[in-house]
Amino acid sequence: MKIKGIFKRIIIAIPLVYIIFLGLVYVDVYDSRPIIGLFKKVQSDSALEIVDFSIDKEITEKTKPAPNKDRNAYYGDLHVHTKYSFDAYVFGVTASPDDAYRYAKGEGIKHPLGYEMKLREPLDFYSVTDHGFYMGMIQAYADTSTEISQNEFAKPFHNINRDDNLTVESAGQRSNIFSSVLGATIILPYPDWHPKLLKAWLTKNTQLALQSFDYDIHKSAWADIARSANEHNDPGNFTTFIGYEFTTSTDVEGGNLHRNVIFNSSEASIRPWTRIDSTNPEDLWSWQDNLRDKGVDTISIPHNSNGSNGQMFEMETFRGNAIDNEYAEKRMRNEPVVEITQVKGTSETHPLLSPDDEWADFEIMDVRVGSRPPTYSKPSGSYVRESYLNGLTLDFTKQGNPYKFGLIGSSDTHTGAGAFDESNYWSKVGLLDGDPENRGSIPLAEENVERLDEYMRAFNQPLSTIDLEQGKYANTGFTQWGASGLAVAWAEENTRDSIFKAFKRKETFATTGTRIAVRFFAGYDMSSIDLNSDTLVSESYAKGVTMGADLLQNDSKIPEFIVWAQKDKNGAPLQRVQIIKGWIDTNSGRPKEKVYDVACSDGNKVDPVTNRCPDNGARVNISDCSISNNVGSSELKTLWKDPEFSHTDKAFYYVRVLENPTCRWSTWDAIKAGFKPREDLHETIQERAWSSPIWYVPNPSDVEVIPLGGTIRMRTID
Amino acid sequence: MNYKVIIFFIIGLILYIIDIGLNNYDDKEIYISDQEIISLVSAWKSQVGRNPTDDEIARIINNLIDEEILYREALKLGLDKEDRIIKRRLAQKISFLKQETIANLPTNEELISYYNNNKDKYFIESTYTFTHYFFSSDNNSKERSEKAFNNLLNSKTINSDPFFLGKNFVDVSIKNINSDFGDSFSSYFENIPLNQWTRPIESAFGHHIVYVSNAKDGYYPDITKILNKVEIDLLQNKRDKAVEEFLNEIKSEYKVFINPNLQI
Repeated sequence: MKIKGIFKRIIIAIPLVYIIFLGLVYVDVYDSRPIIGLFKKVQSDSALEIVDFSIDKEITEKTKPAPNKDRNAYYGDLHVHTKYSFDAYVFGVTASPDDAYRYAKGEGIKHPLGYEMKLREPLDFYSVTDHGFYMGMIQAYADTSTEISQNEFAKPFHNINRDDNLTVESAGQRSNIFSSVLGATIILPYPDWHPKLLKAWLTKNTQLALQSFDYDIHKSAWADIARSANEHNDPGNFTTFIGYEFTTSTDVEGGNLHRNVIFNSSEASIRPWTRIDSTNPEDLWSWQDNLRDKGVDTISIPHNSNGSNGQMFEMETFRGNAIDNEYAEKRMRNEPVVEITQVKGTSETHPLLSPDDEWADFEIMDVRVGSRPPTYSKPSGSYVRESYLNGLTLDFTKQGNPYKFGLIGSSDTHTGAGAFDESNYWSKVGLLDGDPENRGSIPLAEENVERLDEYMRAFNQPLSTIDLEQGKYANTGFTQWGASGLAVAWAEENTRDSIFKAFKRKETFATTGTRIAVRFFAGYDMSSIDLNSDTLVSESYAKGVTMGADLLQNDSKIPEFIVWAQKDKNGAPLQRVQIIKGWIDTNSGRPKEKVYDVACSDGNKVDPVTNRCPDNGARVNISDCSISNNVGSSELKTLWKDPEFSHTDKAFYYVRVLENPTCRWSTWDAIKAGFKPREDLHETIQERAWSSPIWYVPNPSDVEVIPLGGTIRMRTID
Repeated sequence: MNYKVIIFFIIGLILYIIDIGLNNYDDKEIYISDQEIISLVSAWKSQVGRNPTDDEIARIINNLIDEEILYREALKLGLDKEDRIIKRRLAQKISFLKQETIANLPTNEELISYYNNNKDKYFIESTYTFTHYFFSSDNNSKERSEKAFNNLLNSKTINSDPFFLGKNFVDVSIKNINSDFGDSFSSYFENIPLNQWTRPIESAFGHHIVYVSNAKDGYYPDITKILNKVEIDLLQNKRDKAVEEFLNEIKSEYKVFINPNLQI
């Protein structure tokens, strides 16, 4: 009897203990106060498990070119989606990571609409960066042979899949439903008492708590991406990086905070850290810090700040706290470079932010990423140049500078293949924008008007078409997208290690798809270097600092800059080189910016009053896209001194290289189809490159910063 | 007798008509599960940040119903039949399935035969070690380089321009020369004489007087040196082939008819 009683008690006690334990865990998870920090000890972190994805043996002993101590410019793309991305799959994309790498090496691959996509010239490096969020999962749902696709619970996906199999219109609808489903951090969690929830908590892997998630499929998709990257990596000739996109946003406004995470070796975490783990980028950086402690280095690269509604480069943290030194250092440790240009527009600056910059109105995309209906993205906080200035202001108030990043470009293609060439453009989302009619560059054929109408209704866009002189055009928003861009690294050799180190020291530049090359140095004795010497580059490295670096104050000496730009051998000649300066005027505390032309084509001189080159006369013939012969330069080179330098002002300087104007993709589309280009779009563009800045860092000032209310702060008295 | 048969027939007909009247709408019944509604509502909530009102829930459900009705009507009209998009999606699906069934690890014989059939893929290109004088096209490169070439032959000093990518190139392949200087320039290298200055050669940037001090001929590497690479390529090739083979297998069962007189 007695034993039975004890047995009974145990039987009752087990669920009680379980419930109490769950209760404690619940408090631990949902209460921010550190009541039971003890529990942390029993947790393991599945996102910190490291796997070496490398293949058994070295691939080949091909002749590897000798490293160049003066460094070479390597061109690549760090933002490429394949079939493993949930949205690429919607867009009809079937290109695998292997296809993507083959494309980068120069082979042709098929667009979902059937035509061939091929580069004019192979790239030097490439990284497939599928969305980490639900990676591989959608493919699994669609593939009826997988176990997970048989389950009732994936209802939203099932519906969508069925719709998707209907028509192109419902592809829009599907991604519409998708964006609302994906808006949730947690989709279909198990009930609170479920042991899987406990397992998820114990291994810090929220994904395990989702009924809609199959962890094994997720891991195998990630492993396949890593395998492909490692198989295609060819040291000395072609570099790949394991990578993925961390696709997060702000909770309410849908402010885009997307970032690409790039790994430095064949080793990576067993799964990508995604928005299911946390929507807060600061948590991503903590994870990166932890990986770094374990010997795996990563960088994360923000992109499409232009569509972030001012959220990407805020003056406060994600949670709304003040930025401090610790935040600034953490951000810079993990985010040394930013993607300034891609298909969805260019984020250098906006005409409203830089009214005195005649080149500011360039490939502007002014809506929030993925917003339906399209919603305006406010410029302030969304553009790179302003954020550099804001960084200096934060530094001025001794909060640290979280915006001291270098620049790269990339494509964000969802077809596996970046479209970099205006005259051979397929945009990025497969079936949706793969032909000129849907891109809005030529009028719609009558039979397509109604189809588009339905499609746009599904996309929640009020106006599906617009009437212009030549007919009805699709109002898909794709006219604001463009053939851009490339990431360029100055590295000793074409290897993972060498190129990754270039990202870390920000010795990078961005282009709009053209292969312009640009060198940029600053120092206090640059004028002693002969610009016509063969040792110009090595001397510049010896006597100065290069792009991405700091130039520290040297008494009251004035910095001197050397810029050298070379045109794309298959592109238009160069028109001018500019240095863009931003600074904080120490006396007024105001941020200021100025654009200086520093070198003009065809031997022209800069007007010292306007700081502008004269018109070189280069024109484009819009009827056939031909350009003026014999105007423009194949290279531009100069020594420049800041005419308005003040040695106490914090400042940054970056280079912008401009080509002669050429036809924009929308003009090419139109004339190829026998139409006139749309009058409401730019007919031509000036392809360009931007260097990472060089920051001038004055000696620390002894001015004390006293914020409002600061006077009543308690101070310790010595 | 006949009378009875007719009675039965009439009764049967009446029953049949009643049956049609009652049950004809089988395919017009729409069942919406609780779960479906809950998941849509929670999606709505996560997007908007609050629970939908009753009106909004009604709208969500109405949308779902509209969508279901349109879907069924579309099926009835056979709209799924001749739609390229649908066909392509299904074709993709079966391709995936076929690709997943990869064969076993390749044997040595397979590797060797794959290597022999794809030798050009593994060809190691010729490399060149050279130096050059550069004359920028921005500054009359043709004339200046001709003049410089004559001066060079007479051992006089010459004034050239620094080249953006440097002066000396060690063991660079044709592919790299191509990417640094352009096609027209690299094509000169096929039969370039060693250890002497060439006449000016034009590139995308100007003219160059080139001195090649070393050239290594291209060669096919021993398969043992690149075995792993061959294996990777072969497996990849098998994945691609899987779909093709499936197609070939099944193709014979199909007959294809095309109008021979079609004018496009």
